[in-house]
Amino acid sequence: MKLPPLHHNTPATLEEALDLLGEHGDEAKVIAGGQSLVPMMAMRLARPAQLVDINGIASLAAMEDRGDVLAFGAIVRERAAEKSSVVAERAPVLAEALPHIGHVSIRNRGTIGGSLAHADASAELPAVAMVTDAHVVVRSRRGERIVAAEDFFVGHFTTSLADDECLVEVRVPATLPGAGWSFQEVARRQGDFALIGVAAMVALGGGGSIDTARICVFGVAERPLRIRTVEDALAGAAPSPEAFEAAAADAARDLEPPSDVHGSAAYRRHLAAVTVRRALTAAAARAGVPG
Amino acid sequence: MEAVGARSIGARVMRVEDPRILTGRGQYVDDVTLPGMAHAVFLRSQVPHGRLLSLDVSEARALPGVVAVYTGEDIARLTTAAQAGAVSGMNLSPDMKSPSFHSLATDKVRHVGDPIALVVAESRYIAEDALELIVDDIEMLDPVVTYEDALDPGKPPIFDELEDNVYLTAEMAFGDIDAAFAEADRIVRASIQVHRHQPVPMECRGLIAAWDPSAEHLTIHASTQSPHMLRMVLPDQVGIPIESIRVIARDVGGGFGLKNSVTREDVAIVAAAKDLGRPVKWTEDRLEHLATAGHAREEMADLEAAVSADGVLLGVRMDVKVNIGAYPSDPFPGAMQAYTIIMSFQGPTRLRALAGTSAALFSNKATYVAYRGPWATADFLRERLLDIVADELGIDPLDVRRRNYVVRDEPPLAMLTGRPFAGVTTRESVEQAAGLMGWDAFGERQRAARREGRYLGIGMASYLEAAPGPRVPGQDGPDIMGYETAHLSIEAGGQVVIVTRQQPHGQGHETTLAQVAADELGVRFEDITVRYGDTDITPMAIVGTGGSRAATMANGAVLHASRELRGKVISLAADLLEANPADLELAAGVVSVKGSPVVSLTLAELARVASDEPHRLPAGAASDLAVTRTYDGGRSGWSGGTHCCIVEVDVETGIVSFERYVVVEDCGVPVNPAIVEGQVRGGVAQAMGAVLLEHAAYGEDGQYLAGSFMDYLLPTTTVVPRIEIHHVQTVPTDPDVNFRGVGEGGMIVAPAAIVGAIEDALRPFGVRALEQHLPPARIVELAGTLRPR
Ligand SMILES: Cc1cc2nc3c(=O)[nH]c(=O)nc-3n(C[C@H](O)[C@H](O)[C@H](O)COP(=O)(O)OP(=O)(O)OC[C@H]3O[C@@H](n4cnc5c(N)ncnc54)[C@H](O)[C@@H]3O)c2cc1C
Repeated sequence: MKLPPLHHNTPATLEEALDLLGEHGDEAKVIAGGQSLVPMMAMRLARPAQLVDINGIASLAAMEDRGDVLAFGAIVRERAAEKSSVVAERAPVLAEALPHIGHVSIRNRGTIGGSLAHADASAELPAVAMVTDAHVVVRSRRGERIVAAEDFFVGHFTTSLADDECLVEVRVPATLPGAGWSFQEVARRQGDFALIGVAAMVALGGGGSIDTARICVFGVAERPLRIRTVEDALAGAAPSPEAFEAAAADAARDLEPPSDVHGSAAYRRHLAAVTVRRALTAAAARAGVPG
Repeated sequence: MEAVGARSIGARVMRVEDPRILTGRGQYVDDVTLPGMAHAVFLRSQVPHGRLLSLDVSEARALPGVVAVYTGEDIARLTTAAQAGAVSGMNLSPDMKSPSFHSLATDKVRHVGDPIALVVAESRYIAEDALELIVDDIEMLDPVVTYEDALDPGKPPIFDELEDNVYLTAEMAFGDIDAAFAEADRIVRASIQVHRHQPVPMECRGLIAAWDPSAEHLTIHASTQSPHMLRMVLPDQVGIPIESIRVIARDVGGGFGLKNSVTREDVAIVAAAKDLGRPVKWTEDRLEHLATAGHAREEMADLEAAVSADGVLLGVRMDVKVNIGAYPSDPFPGAMQAYTIIMSFQGPTRLRALAGTSAALFSNKATYVAYRGPWATADFLRERLLDIVADELGIDPLDVRRRNYVVRDEPPLAMLTGRPFAGVTTRESVEQAAGLMGWDAFGERQRAARREGRYLGIGMASYLEAAPGPRVPGQDGPDIMGYETAHLSIEAGGQVVIVTRQQPHGQGHETTLAQVAADELGVRFEDITVRYGDTDITPMAIVGTGGSRAATMANGAVLHASRELRGKVISLAADLLEANPADLELAAGVVSVKGSPVVSLTLAELARVASDEPHRLPAGAASDLAVTRTYDGGRSGWSGGTHCCIVEVDVETGIVSFERYVVVEDCGVPVNPAIVEGQVRGGVAQAMGAVLLEHAAYGEDGQYLAGSFMDYLLPTTTVVPRIEIHHVQTVPTDPDVNFRGVGEGGMIVAPAAIVGAIEDALRPFGVRALEQHLPPARIVELAGTLRPR
């Protein structure tokens, strides 16, 4: 479990970093918190010849409330966001998701941007990005792109980032007033990657019926899935236990989750139904539906 | 520390080893660096079973920084193949077929992780780079994975020279089994499985071997529970005589039984170091460790019990199978389990007859090793059976236990194996645990919770732990691990040094042995040093620390040695002070005349006279202040107790949480209650892991599926609840030494209590838990709560 030979570059500015990425292409990899990349290199599952370490780039360190969005620079630590009262108030689903990631020592180093760029299918933050309709800002020598979460995640460990691109910022929309959120996952132990997880939002309209519902399920496919057919079906419905039970069954029915030592596809599909129901119920309660 | 004069035994003395270990000053094998040291890495098989057709190491040898690459062929030239158990005599049973094998694969690979080649390089990094340059060609063979595979004559033998995959069969009978079955009102049958899991010490395996070509002497720095064991096992294989081998083990980061063997990697590293004439270090990494260091417990039994109408076990027939993997461990092959599971089955019950057959089977899996309470499956089988009997007969499991467990000093006074039930307090512990837990009131709570859709369950299990336990009358002489020897001496400054053959790896012997000596000798705790872990000074022992024996054996040896040394001190002082020995006392390191403390001599003064001025002593007086004392275990009693827990099962997800966990235990006189409780908690935590999380799983194809800590899950602080520990009033069995072992008790009994509680929680779903491993996916399957698509 030792790293293969590599060159560790420590650019001081984003421009230098982008030059290195442009120069080395698929030989290079960005390193942020290193919490995913270093273990993968130690197991020799990843072997970049050039590491581009962005931790010294001060311009990537800001966490800002811009009114409609919260912006997280690429080296903002998961733990910093977790401890932020602004995040708790304005992006509650992110605040609720963060403590599920590993343990404190991991979140002290791991970054929000790194988690999205890593795009593990069982990771929490990609699901948060999907359910909040977040955007990521990516830069290369060729210019800047702003990519919707929906278009960013391609598959397990795969995003639409090109080899020469660096994720520079994550923009999470501030929550709608009155919306109730819930983040739920089932893991073998606290801090493990989820067997399955759900991020959900329920906002009520006039007359107490559901105005908008959002459901994102993760750990069940190559990337987090928004279950839009069920979201649409819930819009306008009464927020009843029966409605959530039916929505959960519908959301889970067509999932084709993976099987592994921790559980079969059937078990994960079952957990998806249980967890969607629990998440919708909890989100609705926070939106003001009486329990 | 306690005030001078207070007794040290029984006090919660802070562990003297903790400041060193907790501030990073411990010295583990990987912390040792020798001049000129090279680093080793093993190439390991990716396939479970195959014939090694070719191995090309030329590119690896050519990589700059690579010192040497050894293949199986090289190792066959440098070492002699061995039969596991040759040193302990455990390769010779008539019903046993012992294969001989080398430390690197020569003809075949026999499990995922089987070492094929050894790379030695200037750094571990380069060694790992070189691994990637080795090309092997392996012809795949049909893998032998399950018990059925191992018994299937159509499967290839794992060792070509043996016709099949049956390592050993055993048959044993005690009491009149036919009479028991003839008398039975009911026959209860169950087939119960324990899954493969593993010890997982914090420090993986590792050693440094350093050959001195001029002195022809080998020094080994090892992470081991038994330093002398390496000296006993290695000579036949590496051609270095025992007197030319010194083994040093400083801090050892856990073992749990795994480090009570000499492994193939040890042999290969020593061979390489001798061949190269320079020190070679191997530090096992976690991936290697999980796949290859050693697994345990893959055992099952078909049980048939003759039961009376009121739930008393009259007789049990059992057929046991043990899946011991490919390479038997050395010097205690896993085949031993074929016997011990039957021999240990009775526990604290009044069972009248027991008949067992068993088979130890080879498979294409990692070596079976001892794990904290190697016979633990026996306790699981018995306690599970009692719960099943309770359920089938509609009797409260607590009452079934009351009817089956012996009452002290009432017949039977001995087990079927002949070991006396001396001083057992099982019944007391059962009542105490049931009372603490509110057993009788629990049913009402359980029903109320179920009405809210919550599923609570309660479970209980009891055990006896032989550590070493009472002897069978008439069977004198040491057990397989031998008697225990301790050496005590007084240094020139008056400090006391204890040299023990124990090899601490988390137990705190530096603290507890000093506590015993402090009281018995009359010196201050802080003036006592415990030395261990260097075979140049420690007494010979095939097993250093294992079998929970230190409490009785090492404390006993230290206690008697201290007493003898105290006698020497007093008699020397009596000579010098011209006093009657009976008028002298020794306290806080000072000998004085009772009632006139001014007439005194310190241990330092006495030590100086003994070493520098022997002419002041009367003729014939012993002039050394040192004692070597061997202890046979005296009249040791049983450790034992009862565990009881309440769990809650989320029947939708299968996740189990603990509401309360209570231990009531008897380990005799606890030398240090804090250390006792640490041992109990650690064992219970590992049992929680075993039931809920840990599975050294193999696929049907023989691939290993639990190769990292993302697949092999250990219990963490978020899983393990507070564990309440209560002590039962103990019954002394020996005039002097009533300290009894606690190392294994937690681990051997807790799985049954936990599984019993889970089964109880799932009773509305008609679940019978016949397996020890109940991960969430399995729980929803058993409960039938998994919804269809
Ligand atoms: C024991 C343990 C448990 C964990 N548990 C969880 C868990 O439960 N859930 C979870 O989601 N994660 C978990 N993680 C991973 C952790 O959350 C990581 O912090 C996170 O996945 C990646 O963030 P990082 O900054 O460390 O990324 P790094 O490891 O630095 O990088 C990860 C990947 O993203 C790329 N990358 C990083 N930043 C950028 C960027 N700005 N631009 C382009 N590419 C970039 C890297 O090149 C690399 O491919 C765990 C890690 C450990 C060690």
